[in-house]
Amino acid sequence: MPILSINHNSLEFQPGMTILEVARKNNIHIPTLCHLAGCTPTGQCRICVVEVGGTDELLPACETPAGEGMKIMTHSPGVHEARKTIIEMLVASGAHNCLVMQSPADSWNSDQKGIMEQPWHGGLCPAYGDCRLQDLAVEYDVHVKEDHLAWEGHPLDDATPIIVRDFSRCILCGRCVQACNDVQVNLAITPPWGRRADHPEGWYPAADYEACTHCGECVQACPVGALFDRKSFGKALANEMDHIRTTCPYCGVGCQLLLHVKDGKILKVTGVEDGSPNKGRLCVKGRFGFDFIYSEERLTSPLIKENGEFRKASWDEALDLVAQKFTTIIQESGPDALAGVSCARSINEDSYQMQKLFRAVFKTNNIDHCART
Amino acid sequence: MRHPEIDTWNGKARDPDLSVLDMEKWPGRTTLRAIMGWNGIKVWDKTVDAVALLAAYLEKTKDESCGQCTPCRLGTVQMAGLAKGLTQGRGKTEDLTRLKFLAVQISRTARCDIGRTLARPVLDLMESFSKDFEAAARGTKRVEEGQAYTSLVTAPCVAACPSHVDVPFYLENIRMDRWSEAMDKVREDCPMPGTIGRVCVRPCETRCRRGNLDEALAIKGLKRFLADREMEGKLTPKPLAPPKRPERVAIVGAGPAGLSCAYYLGRQGIKTTIFEAQEGPGGMAAYGIPSYRLPRSVIAHEAAGVEALGAVIRYNTRVGRDITLEDLAGQGYKAVFVGAGAPGPTRMNCKGEDQGYENFMPGVDFLARAARGEKPLNGDRVAVVGGGNVAMDCVRTARRLGFTDVNLIYRRTEAEMPADALEIKEAREEGVNFHMLMAPIEVQADADGKVSGLKCLRMELGEPDKSGRRRPVPIEGSEFVIACDAVIPAIGQACAVDQFLPQAVVSEWNTLVADKTTGQTQVPHIFGGGDCATGPDILIRALAAGKYGAKSIVRYLDTGDCTPGPEDLMEALTGNPALFETDPPLPYPGVTRREEASVLAPETRIQSFDEVEAGLSPAQARQEANRCLRCYRILVAAL
Ligand SMILES: Cc1cc2nc3c(=O)[nH]c(=O)nc-3n(C[C@H](O)[C@H](O)[C@H](O)COP(=O)(O)OP(=O)(O)OC[C@H]3O[C@@H](n4cnc5c(N)ncnc54)[C@H](O)[C@@H]3O)c2cc1C
Ligand code: SF4
Ligand code: SF4
Repeated sequence: MPILSINHNSLEFQPGMTILEVARKNNIHIPTLCHLAGCTPTGQCRICVVEVGGTDELLPACETPAGEGMKIMTHSPGVHEARKTIIEMLVASGAHNCLVMQSPADSWNSDQKGIMEQPWHGGLCPAYGDCRLQDLAVEYDVHVKEDHLAWEGHPLDDATPIIVRDFSRCILCGRCVQACNDVQVNLAITPPWGRRADHPEGWYPAADYEACTHCGECVQACPVGALFDRKSFGKALANEMDHIRTTCPYCGVGCQLLLHVKDGKILKVTGVEDGSPNKGRLCVKGRFGFDFIYSEERLTSPLIKENGEFRKASWDEALDLVAQKFTTIIQESGPDALAGVSCARSINEDSYQMQKLFRAVFKTNNIDHCART
Repeated sequence: MRHPEIDTWNGKARDPDLSVLDMEKWPGRTTLRAIMGWNGIKVWDKTVDAVALLAAYLEKTKDESCGQCTPCRLGTVQMAGLAKGLTQGRGKTEDLTRLKFLAVQISRTARCDIGRTLARPVLDLMESFSKDFEAAARGTKRVEEGQAYTSLVTAPCVAACPSHVDVPFYLENIRMDRWSEAMDKVREDCPMPGTIGRVCVRPCETRCRRGNLDEALAIKGLKRFLADREMEGKLTPKPLAPPKRPERVAIVGAGPAGLSCAYYLGRQGIKTTIFEAQEGPGGMAAYGIPSYRLPRSVIAHEAAGVEALGAVIRYNTRVGRDITLEDLAGQGYKAVFVGAGAPGPTRMNCKGEDQGYENFMPGVDFLARAARGEKPLNGDRVAVVGGGNVAMDCVRTARRLGFTDVNLIYRRTEAEMPADALEIKEAREEGVNFHMLMAPIEVQADADGKVSGLKCLRMELGEPDKSGRRRPVPIEGSEFVIACDAVIPAIGQACAVDQFLPQAVVSEWNTLVADKTTGQTQVPHIFGGGDCATGPDILIRALAAGKYGAKSIVRYLDTGDCTPGPEDLMEALTGNPALFETDPPLPYPGVTRREEASVLAPETRIQSFDEVEAGLSPAQARQEANRCLRCYRILVAAL
């Protein structure tokens, strides 16, 4: 196997691997922002640049092929300076109010007040504590004067009930673009890039709601607080929530969910990145359809209708009533007067039992599944 | 030629021959005071306002930044703002430090060459004019008013293309699945993308920088990909609605040059009438290039696109016979573009070639008749003379017409053959016999005047000739005869524009004499280009001649004059490959392979004239386009 060196350590690699892949395999940390696992690297954010012997240029680890004999430095002073410059530019490019909130409210100048008065900016950023940019700003000791922040004039899309796209925090990493087009293939976010002169309005990755399925893949991909789930906004900080892994109950695929829970309440759901079968991907129901469990209108016991009114009943009473009515129907009209529809949310074993009940016990083939009806 | 007073281009390692910069001779009489670009600066006039030049350069770079990478997207805005501040007396000394710092940072980390090439010119300029910059930072520098600038964005591939198609732009848009935007851009410089996407000899690919790493981009194949989608109706082009203009322009020839001129005049709202001697459009693209390489439906589609922009094609009308140039002037045509091609045969200088033998026919005539569905020659055995693409088309067409014993005869060796290597390979696969180092000396015929054989001499390679290829010299006494039923000479074509043009614009070789940049002739309202001006050449150069001809005609109609402007000088300047030569090797290994389209098996393809090559699939196209390195280069000049 060919060999290269990273930070003076000789390492073997498979031809075709990128520098980032070699580094990760050997537990060498190189920061990334735009890199989205499983997609072709776009090399956009430039945070992963490293020094390679023989050239003055810094090369992006995410898309540069590893080469025999390469001498790579991942944290040299030059690399550090370049990353720091990039992080400064990114922090300065938007309305990142975490910086403002570091100082007491009575000391805010008009710019800082302006940022805090923007929609969705009154409290902590939805990504606070779980923000890649914030982490990097801390790691690289980045300070930007608040009056340098380009906080004005970014579009905001909060017209739909589920996802808020607050481009004043967008760092244009392009992850949502790849998440939508390459991962989910919904093609709802057209890549916005092109000559600045041809894009006077900027390059915001806006969603086309004709094509959008509200799957939220873009939200999960966003490394900062630009795209977020409206329902969980402001409910809890990232470090206040427990993470509970479970299986999505909506259909038989069995996607792995991560429930973000505070005080016993689910506030947010994300996909488990390396869990099969979904590898982090979710549909609109699995990701956003969780608040029904706290609905006041939810049935908590069986109900029996008498004289047009529902009344509470016990399971035994309700099931006895159903059994008795079924028996009467079968006696009067034969078993084919009954039909069963099994629910997509039941597990395979339950659906099996259901058809056994209908075929073997009731003696009818009128059994189907809600996904087909 | 004037020498620059300051010159850092290529780090002075080697002064590229910029003879085109002999600006005194430039027809536009434009002179450049200074240029700054990817490889440094050249200053002819030291009184140029360097601070303002820097601001102009950074403004341009900012505008070209594509938004993808952070340092270029955000850094160029900062730099342009600082430079503007300097020109407005708002500068501070630390701004100079910051400008230099950002220039280096952007160059070290940017994603493509828009940003990567920025440090060198900026640092060179700031160093060479350090006093001016310091004065500007102190607010004590006199700011020059009214200095004008021109700029050009190019790339090695773009510069190599005679029509300067914006290759990285359309490749990148294919990568992003934005096919319509990609095609709109292609059509700005190439009016026959389906044709060019199939048969272009692709000067761009030979200069593609990715070729230094692994394999050049499939620039041609990706253009065809777009053209195929266009023919399927999958694209939504940006509508062109130019204001209609009253002038009409006449065009001689519906070949690539004529169609291109009509297309670009149509995009300007000018109506054209094309007079075409033959019964269909396309010139040599239709009646020379066989349909297994370029299906007739593609040419029909592209000609229809020209007609949709207001061109009327009058077929079966030969200018000089059916109508004269004077008639056209009388009918109110304000200008004429001549794109009459090079249709005439050239002589082999061997015995028997002008005896009118049966089954002896020049290659272009043979191909034209085959294109019309005839079998122009009879027999089983044929000998084709020549080593270029026309000869390849003849042998491969002969195979498809049923000749079983097809022989190619060439004076030198395969290494010297001008034909495309792929054509040679495919002809071989189709069972063509290649005879190298052989020259014909006599076409032989039987008593009825039917071809019976070709007498040849064996050759060997001697000293190199003017073209640098080793000259073939005959071996004494090596005559022999190839028995055959037909002979096709395919050794080149000649021009014949003297048939209808005034003597003043015709050269001694019967070519049209027109300005290389503008296409204008001695007779101010007559323009022209393509094969009729250059002799047999390549399609994209004919299309470029049509495009530039249209541009000059519009200028001529507007002002009565068509002096080239500064932007034409910039284009001529960047056409010089020497400007690009010092690109350092890329510091990582090439690990990608070029995507290839599938081709029909040789046994299948010789059965018919069906197209041999299929196009790239959308997935292949995206993958291929992703290999482009976006080697954009910006050049800004002070006038
Ligand atoms: C067999 C063959 C294969 C080729 N293969 C390739 C290739 O693979 N790639 C490539 O890039 N190039 C190729 N070429 C070259 C290319 O076809 C030419 O460079 C190109 O067609 C030139 O375009 P043009 O418009 O200048 O002339 P033409 O294509 O020759 O068109 C001239 C037109 O003007 C018409 N005309 C001429 N005189 C008159 C008149 N007096 N009145 C009215 N109409 C008139 C002609 O009928 C013709 O339609 C090939 C050429 C040949 C012959
Ligand atoms: S929610 Fe899903 S479909 Fe809609 S934009 Fe985001 S990724 Fe695309
Ligand atoms: S890599 Fe792309 S931009 Fe560079 S020369 Fe090749 S096609 Fe042109």
